Amino acid sequence: MTSASEVPASFRSSAVRPGPVGLIREGFVDILSRRRLIRYLVQADLKKSGADTLLGNIWWVIDPLLQMVVYVVLVTLIFQRKQPDYPIFIFSAILPWKWFTGSVGDGVYSVVLSERLIKQIQFPKIVLPISSAMSGITNFAFGLIPLSVLMIVFYPHRISIWLLTIPLIGFVQLLFTLPVVVAVSSSNVFYRDIGNLMRHVLRLWWYLSPGLYGVALILEVTKELPLVGTLMLLNPFTILFTAYRDAIYSGQSPDWMSLFILAVASLLLLVVAMWYFKRVEPAFAKVL
Amino acid sequence: MTIEHIDEGHREGPVAIEAHDLGVRYSLRFTRKTRMRTTFTNLLRPRGGETAFWALREVTFRVVQGESLAVIGPNGAGKSTLLQVLAGIIMPSTGVVEVAGHVSSLLTLGAGFDQDLSGLDNIRLAGAFLGLSEQEVERRLPGIVEYADLGPFIDVPLRTYSSGMRARLGFSIATSVEPDILLLDEVLATGDADFRVKSKARVLELVKQARAIVLVTHDMSWVTEYCNRAILLEKGRIVAEGEPSEVIAIHQEHSERRKAEKAAAGVLQLRERPAGRRRRG
Repeated sequence: MTSASEVPASFRSSAVRPGPVGLIREGFVDILSRRRLIRYLVQADLKKSGADTLLGNIWWVIDPLLQMVVYVVLVTLIFQRKQPDYPIFIFSAILPWKWFTGSVGDGVYSVVLSERLIKQIQFPKIVLPISSAMSGITNFAFGLIPLSVLMIVFYPHRISIWLLTIPLIGFVQLLFTLPVVVAVSSSNVFYRDIGNLMRHVLRLWWYLSPGLYGVALILEVTKELPLVGTLMLLNPFTILFTAYRDAIYSGQSPDWMSLFILAVASLLLLVVAMWYFKRVEPAFAKVL
Repeated sequence: MTIEHIDEGHREGPVAIEAHDLGVRYSLRFTRKTRMRTTFTNLLRPRGGETAFWALREVTFRVVQGESLAVIGPNGAGKSTLLQVLAGIIMPSTGVVEVAGHVSSLLTLGAGFDQDLSGLDNIRLAGAFLGLSEQEVERRLPGIVEYADLGPFIDVPLRTYSSGMRARLGFSIATSVEPDILLLDEVLATGDADFRVKSKARVLELVKQARAIVLVTHDMSWVTEYCNRAILLEKGRIVAEGEPSEVIAIHQEHSERRKAEKAAAGVLQLRERPAGRRRRG
């Protein structure tokens, strides 16, 4: 950055707001011009979650493993399901899901918790949800450590070249996470119970997505209830979990076509979410 | 309502702030306590009543460079809202405001504060929020640290700070930027006596440097001492504008009258129910 300041020296503010296209453009310009602020916010987030406890970072590694143990006990011992190498099967879904719920769970409060700031200084509020969505990435990255340990120690026969596609699948997931976080963070300002609601929505979402079970089960549902089955297949996390599982569990190429469609759809969603966010942004300082 | 123009005069120089027909409307439908349930019940059973509140209405004024404007008025008149609009924090619902130059508001006291980060990290974070570049922040860092005078505490998380220490750090950050236009909102009442003296000196320094100042205060000695113009806000409207001393006189006269009316209303209250409560801005 060469200029001394990232904010314009003069401004004009009036009741007349730009149209949808102008608002959307403004939002993306905000993100680009304030990327250093976003970086700082992400770093601050990491410092906080890691610095407090000596085991801070270690927990990021242990957490998904413990969750895996819970589901392994539940599904193989209690429900008596037979799925070969179930631990790695479930782990390949836990990892991305923890990232998503973490980002949405933090993101939904990102605007509300910055109440004091919003009332005291002028800055593009879009940086708040964007940075919460970004901080989740490190959590995901740390989860790759137990994944590699699991693969190398217990399932070396499942290691394949397709593991290298994980970052790409992760990128598509990030594209999908952004509009969700942007939308819920701004809605939570006006309806303070969105945060509560989201917890339950996320739980339901997890059970409706092929995380605990495979896509085969959804295909069975489709035979009896075509509509429900089709909706379940359209679920972005059906696409994502299947892709992760192809790369990690089955050692085959993910379905690039569906990932590409999801990426494009996410971008469209992001544009809509951005428009909504920019439209309601002026009201934040008044409502909070 | 007619505005009492005491001294229109010809004021020369480039315009620093131009506000035309400013209005700020608050929706009473969405407050910080709104839940989805309330909206549903309102949809089913409209309760009627006011859904909006105007904190500012038809506010038009101009500040030229070199001027310092005092905004006075009773509580809830919209003074702080006006400063928020000038700082760009709140967008007007009607009208236009144009601000030529970097604005710094000492509303910023305590902003950017993250309890779990150290003092130094907080300074950097605040700098990023204010839009200062990295080099700029690093350049100002030593000065801010020195002025805040926190000793070794600068490296520990803010949650261990006393409220006085926090105020010192906030003030130090807020006053480290050299603004073209300075917005002050009753900021001098922070910290201990020593720091208050020190901070008053610092504010006066900024006042000297700034090209234009807007000050909101209840302390009339500040108004007569440092401002060369004043406006009186009442219920969101400008009711008087001009020479500080004369505007203050009108303000005092109006408050006397309100006090008398209140006393009279107090007597009436014994017989009648009080009128609807007014919202504070």
